[in-house]
Amino acid sequence: MAISLSKGGNVSLSKEAPGLTSILVGLGWDPRVTDGIDFDLDASVFICGENGKVRSDEDFIFYRNLSGLGGAVEHLGDNRTGEGEGDDEQVKIDLSKIPADVKKLVFVVTIHEAEKQSQNFGQVSNAFMRILNQDGGAVLAQYDLSEDYSTETAMIFGEIYRHNEEWKMKAIGAGFAGGLGPLATAHGVNVG
Amino acid sequence: MTVLGPGANAPLTLNDLTVLIRHGTIPGADIDVSAFLVAASGKVRSDADMCFYGQPSVAGGTVALSGSGNGEARFAVGLGRVPAGVEKVVFTATIHENRASFSRVPEITLDAGGIRGAIPCAGMTETALILAELYQRNGAWKFRVVGQGFNGGLAALAKHLGVEIAEPAPPAPTPPPVPASTPAPPPISAPASTPTPTPNPSPTPNPSPVPPPSTTPVNLSKVSLTKQNNTVSLTKEDGRFGKIQVNLNWNQSQTQKKAGFFSRGSVAIDLDLGAFVETRDGKRHVVQALGSGFGDFQQAPFVRLLGDDRTGSTSDGEWLEINGDRWADIKRVLVYAFIYEGVPNWKETDGVVRVLVPGQPEVEIRMNEFEQDGSMCAVVGVDNHNGQVRVSRQVTFHSGHKALDKQYDWGFRWTAGRK
Repeated sequence: MAISLSKGGNVSLSKEAPGLTSILVGLGWDPRVTDGIDFDLDASVFICGENGKVRSDEDFIFYRNLSGLGGAVEHLGDNRTGEGEGDDEQVKIDLSKIPADVKKLVFVVTIHEAEKQSQNFGQVSNAFMRILNQDGGAVLAQYDLSEDYSTETAMIFGEIYRHNEEWKMKAIGAGFAGGLGPLATAHGVNVG
Repeated sequence: MTVLGPGANAPLTLNDLTVLIRHGTIPGADIDVSAFLVAASGKVRSDADMCFYGQPSVAGGTVALSGSGNGEARFAVGLGRVPAGVEKVVFTATIHENRASFSRVPEITLDAGGIRGAIPCAGMTETALILAELYQRNGAWKFRVVGQGFNGGLAALAKHLGVEIAEPAPPAPTPPPVPASTPAPPPISAPASTPTPTPNPSPTPNPSPVPPPSTTPVNLSKVSLTKQNNTVSLTKEDGRFGKIQVNLNWNQSQTQKKAGFFSRGSVAIDLDLGAFVETRDGKRHVVQALGSGFGDFQQAPFVRLLGDDRTGSTSDGEWLEINGDRWADIKRVLVYAFIYEGVPNWKETDGVVRVLVPGQPEVEIRMNEFEQDGSMCAVVGVDNHNGQVRVSRQVTFHSGHKALDKQYDWGFRWTAGRK
């Protein structure tokens, strides 16, 4: 039974699935049903150390850098696995291979060229983030972002973090002004 | 106070609220505003959940189109009475017959119980727009500005919302079948306390004892009478047409802008609606505000003019009512518009006359031959043609009542009058 989180809530993934080693993070939203320019949404991950910043630029996982931590974090881009039906973008994470100095992984979604297209999250329906157990495909936790956004163009959906010996998920649902660039800078990435 | 843009939302504090939509006007293209009661599926439960000019009150008056015209529409919404199963009230605007896109208006503004919104329309290719929605979140109602739509107009929008729309029918001499047992539908201006029942015209026996909730598509058809296509005949088996309404509306905004809010001086154009009526007994009547000949609905001439609007306070123009239940007593009606004061500039007035017969497609006549001079325009003839209501477009221009009379061979004796 999947735990449904609301904004600010958290859940222990390790408790939900004892012996959990590998997860699939699914991010999704409804495609545009009206005419006009499609919403081009991109999911990215910041792999952060103790100070809440990336340890190096390699820890910024996005459409031009799809793999991190020697393959322990793998951005699958569009959902092509058939698993996790309904996800628009998926990130595969082998928790057992994440080094001890990594404290959290932050999942963000940004609207490509949002300003230019006059688009924002308030026009996107049914955005969600969810965690699946790679072993068996069970949904461990789900966070439905609807209504936690309005005219934002970049959103921090949630994070997966280490708490003592457990892995937990926290629902964030916070908007961020300026898009992916400023978001990356805020997480310690040197954006060139 | 903040103004919400597309995508933004805000909580509503009122349970009974007015939703005001200001969309402006596009010369030569009508903008129709509607509201849809939508279930969790994003679709209407049935066609009875669509609130529009042909069905101005739905769900027992929970959502009612309380007024429209002059570039705006107003809905009264009782959120506390929204039926279970309805999750959203979706407001839309469509441009009739896709004659233009929404880029022709600068913006559409909204006011939902004091919460304001604005949709910038520059560059829009859409001819149908979802303007905004009232929706429930955690048991409370919120208002969201949407501003997205469809290039395919009403048809695409209706499909999106699960409404079946009748194909725009050409003006046909044969009316849609009406079950003989069904009483005459109420006039469309009357607020219906219950959703208007949609009769099932299918004569084929239904194998199931319970008929499907609605198999009759919503009839959105309007008949536009043009030079080429200038007559339509409406038939009713029992010969009783209910209250036939004739509306004259025109663009008052440009003239008001010039004249200022309080001064309706010589710049303002005041259009008056009137009619010549011939009853079955051969008597001829003039129904118009000038000379206080407002007519009578219950007795001859069975045509009456509703109060003349010279204040500009009512936005839907002037109304003439013909007693269609006494149709047998009426021989012919010639409806005209005239400019009582101001320069006869028909182009600026952009006048439209609509003939509304209960249960029949709306007939629309645009007075769009503006090169004409003359303060008088014969707009439409409504004639008793073997019991049918024959509506024929005239749109001919004349210097005054006398000239009009002569042209149409009525034979009145004219003296000067004032209203």
